[in-house]
Amino acid sequence: MSVASTENAISTGRITRAFIYLVLILFVTFYLLPFGIMVINSVKPLSEITGGNMMALPQVFTLDPWFNAWNSAQIGVDPTGLKPYFWNSLKMVFPAVAISTVLGALNGYVLTKWRFRGDTLLFGLMLFACFIPFQIVLIPMARVLGFLGISGSTPGLVLVHVVYGLSFTTLYFRNYYQVFPTELVRAAQIDGAGFFRIFWRIMLPSSGPIIVVSVIWQFTNIWNDFLFGASFADQDSQPMTVALNNLVSSSTGVKEYNVHFAGAILAALPTLLVYIVAGRYFVRGLMAGSVKG
Amino acid sequence: MSFLKINNVSKSYGSTRVLHNIDIDVQEGEFLVLVGPSGCGKSTLLNMIAGLEDITSGTIAIKGQAMNGVHPSKRNIAMVFQSYALYPNMTVGQNITFGLEMHGIPRPEREKAMAEVAEMLQIKPLLSRKPGQLSGGQRQRVAMGRALVRDPDVFLFDEPLSNLDAKLRVDMRTEIKKLHHKLGTTIVYVTHDQIEAMTLSTRIAVMNAGYVQQLGTPKEIYDNPANLFVASFMGSPSMNLVAAKVVANADGIFAQLATGLRDKVNLKFSKPSEALKGFDQKEIVLGIRPEAITDPEGADRKASHIEQITNRVIVTEPAGSDTYVMSSLGGKDCNARMRADAQVIAGQDVPFAINMDKAIPFDPSSEMRIA
Amino acid sequence: MMRPHFSQNNENLGAGIMVDQTNSSVAMAADYAVPTAVKPDLRTRLQKLIPKLVLSPSLALILVFVYGFVIFSVYLSFTGSRILPVYDWVGLENYEKLFRLRNWSIAIKNLGIFAGLYITVCTAIGLGLAILLDQKIRGEGFLRPIFLYPMALSFIVTGTAWKWFLDPGIGLEHTIHLWGWESFEFDWIKNRDFAIYTVVIAAVWQTSGFVMAMFLAGLRGIDNEILKAAQIDGASNWNMYRRIIIPQLRPAFLSAFVILSHLAIKSYDLVVALTGGGPGRATELPATFMYSYTFTRNQMGIGASSAVIMLMTIAAIMVPYLYAELREKK
Repeated sequence: MSVASTENAISTGRITRAFIYLVLILFVTFYLLPFGIMVINSVKPLSEITGGNMMALPQVFTLDPWFNAWNSAQIGVDPTGLKPYFWNSLKMVFPAVAISTVLGALNGYVLTKWRFRGDTLLFGLMLFACFIPFQIVLIPMARVLGFLGISGSTPGLVLVHVVYGLSFTTLYFRNYYQVFPTELVRAAQIDGAGFFRIFWRIMLPSSGPIIVVSVIWQFTNIWNDFLFGASFADQDSQPMTVALNNLVSSSTGVKEYNVHFAGAILAALPTLLVYIVAGRYFVRGLMAGSVKG
Repeated sequence: MSFLKINNVSKSYGSTRVLHNIDIDVQEGEFLVLVGPSGCGKSTLLNMIAGLEDITSGTIAIKGQAMNGVHPSKRNIAMVFQSYALYPNMTVGQNITFGLEMHGIPRPEREKAMAEVAEMLQIKPLLSRKPGQLSGGQRQRVAMGRALVRDPDVFLFDEPLSNLDAKLRVDMRTEIKKLHHKLGTTIVYVTHDQIEAMTLSTRIAVMNAGYVQQLGTPKEIYDNPANLFVASFMGSPSMNLVAAKVVANADGIFAQLATGLRDKVNLKFSKPSEALKGFDQKEIVLGIRPEAITDPEGADRKASHIEQITNRVIVTEPAGSDTYVMSSLGGKDCNARMRADAQVIAGQDVPFAINMDKAIPFDPSSEMRIA
Repeated sequence: MMRPHFSQNNENLGAGIMVDQTNSSVAMAADYAVPTAVKPDLRTRLQKLIPKLVLSPSLALILVFVYGFVIFSVYLSFTGSRILPVYDWVGLENYEKLFRLRNWSIAIKNLGIFAGLYITVCTAIGLGLAILLDQKIRGEGFLRPIFLYPMALSFIVTGTAWKWFLDPGIGLEHTIHLWGWESFEFDWIKNRDFAIYTVVIAAVWQTSGFVMAMFLAGLRGIDNEILKAAQIDGASNWNMYRRIIIPQLRPAFLSAFVILSHLAIKSYDLVVALTGGGPGRATELPATFMYSYTFTRNQMGIGASSAVIMLMTIAAIMVPYLYAELREKK
């Protein structure tokens, strides 16, 4: 977005500007408040939350809720904390992101630079797959994973995420490569480079921005997924989101809000980190990739 | 037999036919220009020679070998693209040698070939830069270097000058022509600019709507356009095409038309063809280039027959080297080219000299030249 | 066939080439007489095949795992499957049952409220913030990420945050009481009639920043010269937005609508984390309905039929949109 000019031809008066800043600050509060409260209350002892004011800063600062959430909170049957589930998520996310991005890049390359009869229809079929409600595939997916012998396992989840992420990565790369000059591909063909060589030497070196977008998109989506994790994972492969939900909604014992908050922040950290580091490219790429606003 | 033979070639996309039975023979060392308005099929034809598009029917042969289905890199051709198509991630040097690298030429030979091409095109200082750091003219040179280094049988140029500004375009045009003189290579060059076509080519193929309208030397095309399309497309300012009626009598064959002052003026054809006699009392389109209508002092001394008429000046356009004078002929604005110091003012009635050697009759129904 | 042949003589480069070519043309003149057909070599033919080979695994995955599964689910919705799929044809029975179920009509009604409010409010906030940010705002680079970051969070995290923030016992209501406003009441999340609106609040919080980014991109794409022309024509700021700018954002409105509506129909995690579908069944949505009927109530046939209804609703929005988009781009 920052590539576009930020100057427009509209000028505003002083009072209007004061009003604009006031509204913007109100919205800043709206967006920051829920998460800010989670952070503040995750470093309070439980008694300060139940007996005190959630907006107040902690009187006693403690990291116990964090250690508790990470190491020893009761999740499901075992007091393991979120740690094993965090690793489960990582083990699922990395291969799924890598595979779906590579496939998406190749698909986008074929669909724009090696066009053939019916390719628009194929792309349309892939594109529609981005938007299906996943409820429609839950039942058959469960059976197919069982049939393949990977139900309830990390490889099973990787397969699911690759399949349903593929459409998005293909969409991103296709839209990006569509404006990549075809003459370059033709020049390389005349120079004697073949399909993979052109991809490797000509397309990929210019694909940095869209690779970033695809990786971030896939990473956030797969890390944040709940439905597939809840449907297809078992105790040993459950991702972070499912574990967090189990932690928060477990009905046994005292509700340790501070631990819940710490856990929620732990679950949000990787995507927030990615967002802070590369968010600018993400939004810019999304704008170029998914919608022509 | 020709070096590059395009034999009865057609191209269709689905049910739409974009090229119709093209036949062109190119001799070795020839500079053939394919010229026409956008969408006429010239670039498609060039891409088919390059192997970037399939040939629907017919054959394209280079050095006697049919090229249908042969991979672009195996045709021994090189191409210069409109956008230059320089690989943005590679340096100029890498761009130039990429093709050699792909063909497994060892590095020392590549370096040597690159150095020589860089020398010839004066791009040595640019070799380690990236294309993004070059000006339009420099990119153009690098693109030519990439083609030259491959020492191809045929060079293909796809509107290579259209992205340059006017001044640079003229300079590069001269440079391409010099290069052709020096290397004597066979070139097929696509452009929509008829001046480029005239100045560069040894032969021109004028194309429109998927047909070759006329194939000939620049002089043939300019002086004897085969039809109304070629007549109006080639030449700038373009040929005056005015309505006239053929009148044949004992004195000869005349084109009868209206001027700004009189309803009927008879202009005598200097060398009428037999076919023209058959058009007696029929309507024709008379084509006269602006330079064939002059002030009497500026008229061509060698012309066999000059008609002098008086006509009213509508507007004048002094262009520095010449002055263009608009008057009405056959009911249309008609452009005349006079000497820069000819004294004419809008609204005046002045004498015009029409070189009838250069007047070309066209059949309005078939749009073909009457010959 | 392709050797760099500037080999012998640097000085006399051009001449060298000319000689070379003249020689070859004399030598080969006779050979051109009859064009000899060359069969496309293996590499050329392979090059034509490779793109399709590369595409085919993805295509196979999509065809099986998306379209195959859709067909399977559609078929299941016409069978009497309960805990496991069975293949007896029962016709429209599941659909008839489905539409007689009170839970389903609650889910549909909730979806109507949720989707309607969610789309409207997100679009309004998104457009409003985008317009405000487009007024040469100091610190835009600082504000934008704050509006956008909720998008990076999981709905489960969002749900958790809002669940406790809105909880009357410890959250907002409790805090305001502590601040001295004893009669303040905000117990929507526990209230059957209002719980669905808390889902809207949390969902808007999560996505409105994204919608803002879409509109901002649209605003930045508008030709500034048009705005200058409008100013010269004497248009006020209000008229400029109403008559010139907002109409030009049509594509952004359309994209926002399409994205928001399909997110609304798919909404599942947020409800699970925020209210668990409750209190009672007050925040049941088609997605949660489908899950509970299929996997906990063992009514697979009815679950499948509800999924089919969801798919058809999305298809009714997406197919015309995608069709128009792809035709346009072609």
